[in-house]
Amino acid sequence: MQTVKMVISGAVNAGKTEFIRSISEIEVVSTERRATDDTRMIKKETTVAMDFGRIAIGPDLVLHLFGTPGQKRFDFMWEILSEGMLGLVILVDSTRPETFRETNRIIDFFISYRDTAYVIAANKQDRPNAWSPEELRLALRQPPHIKVLPCVASDRESVKNVLLELLYVIQERSEE
Amino acid sequence: MALVGNIRDFGLSDFLYLVDRGDKTGGLYLSHGQETALLFFERGKLVMAVRRPEDQQPDLLVRLGLLTENQLARARASLAARGNGATLTEVILAENLAPREQLQGALQSFSEEAVYGLFGWPEGEFRFEQNQRPDPAAPTIPSPISVDHLIMEGSRRIDELGRIKDRIPSTDLVVRFLDQPGVRIKGIKLSAEEWRVIARINGRDTLAEIAQKTNLKEFDVCRIVYGFLTAGLVEVVKKPVPMPLARGGPAEVPRVKRSLVNRIINRIKGM
Repeated sequence: MQTVKMVISGAVNAGKTEFIRSISEIEVVSTERRATDDTRMIKKETTVAMDFGRIAIGPDLVLHLFGTPGQKRFDFMWEILSEGMLGLVILVDSTRPETFRETNRIIDFFISYRDTAYVIAANKQDRPNAWSPEELRLALRQPPHIKVLPCVASDRESVKNVLLELLYVIQERSEE
Repeated sequence: MALVGNIRDFGLSDFLYLVDRGDKTGGLYLSHGQETALLFFERGKLVMAVRRPEDQQPDLLVRLGLLTENQLARARASLAARGNGATLTEVILAENLAPREQLQGALQSFSEEAVYGLFGWPEGEFRFEQNQRPDPAAPTIPSPISVDHLIMEGSRRIDELGRIKDRIPSTDLVVRFLDQPGVRIKGIKLSAEEWRVIARINGRDTLAEIAQKTNLKEFDVCRIVYGFLTAGLVEVVKKPVPMPLARGGPAEVPRVKRSLVNRIINRIKGM
């Protein structure tokens, strides 16, 4: 059985758990713990280890989805999770510009280690005052060739679209 | 839809960059304690900036000595007669009530000073109302001004290490130009120190090395590069490690088979 891995990252409360939950075929294995630091202000429980989802591609192939912990003190996990990954989805809470700097730090971290295929998912586009994907591209100073996609992490079709767009990026870099 | 946030988290220069590169039109409302400010942009350029609500009123032109009371009354009457679409500034120019250069110079300086003062705010709520325009009778700048210059000047006034460190965490980073910076640099007035730094940017030297070569303090080089960075002229990147010694630098990702990617695509499409 071959397994391939995609990593879903983003700042605290960007919607990583929900994103994986919307598409995973298994109940998402999530090690939610009561938040013990400043994340408590944002949500009562937050992911301190990681989320894990799974999609069977065929009898011999499985796609694993790993959500990274959002807090800075779990940075060490990111490198471990990113080993051997096929691609990366960076989720951004489009309604909270205070997380954009942290999002940039996460992007820098991942792309400085590997020539990673990644897309940015502008989550919570269904909320009032959500910054549009193009506004997010400018705010995050992403070049035009990086896809910044509208996303609602609770909507399966929206999550599918983000994963497909990432796969098209990976497809372009793949070999025959 | 409004863009809301706090300049503590998303700096004013970052917002001006977004307005410029996004060709935004709208009104930016800022507040910090008892202080307020209002900036209007037309297709990414500044048309008016005021720190007090009364400065949006046409009598600012009298207070700035650009028009007499009588001239202003005549301009307002003409504006009312013209109806939709015209602005007070257009009327003043059309009727030669004030020379264009004088109007431009005075209103530009007034707006620039209003904006520069905002760079000193450590925080402040902002709300950007897209496609909102000033009142037709507001004293707008005849030729809207580029925000690149505002970003550079505003960055010169930032001396907080913390804010600079946010964008430039280390002096071991290499500075390099973004594509075609020349076009943008043309619109920016650089100081002698800034020219010294910009002349040393070669995509190989780190900030620390530039400081050595220019005999400037590392903090001053960081502050200057912060301005270039915020204006979107340069980027800072990690220094490439020579390949044979590569450890910890960007690693090559093994190429995956297209057939495998296609299988995943088909599976997800079918979900």
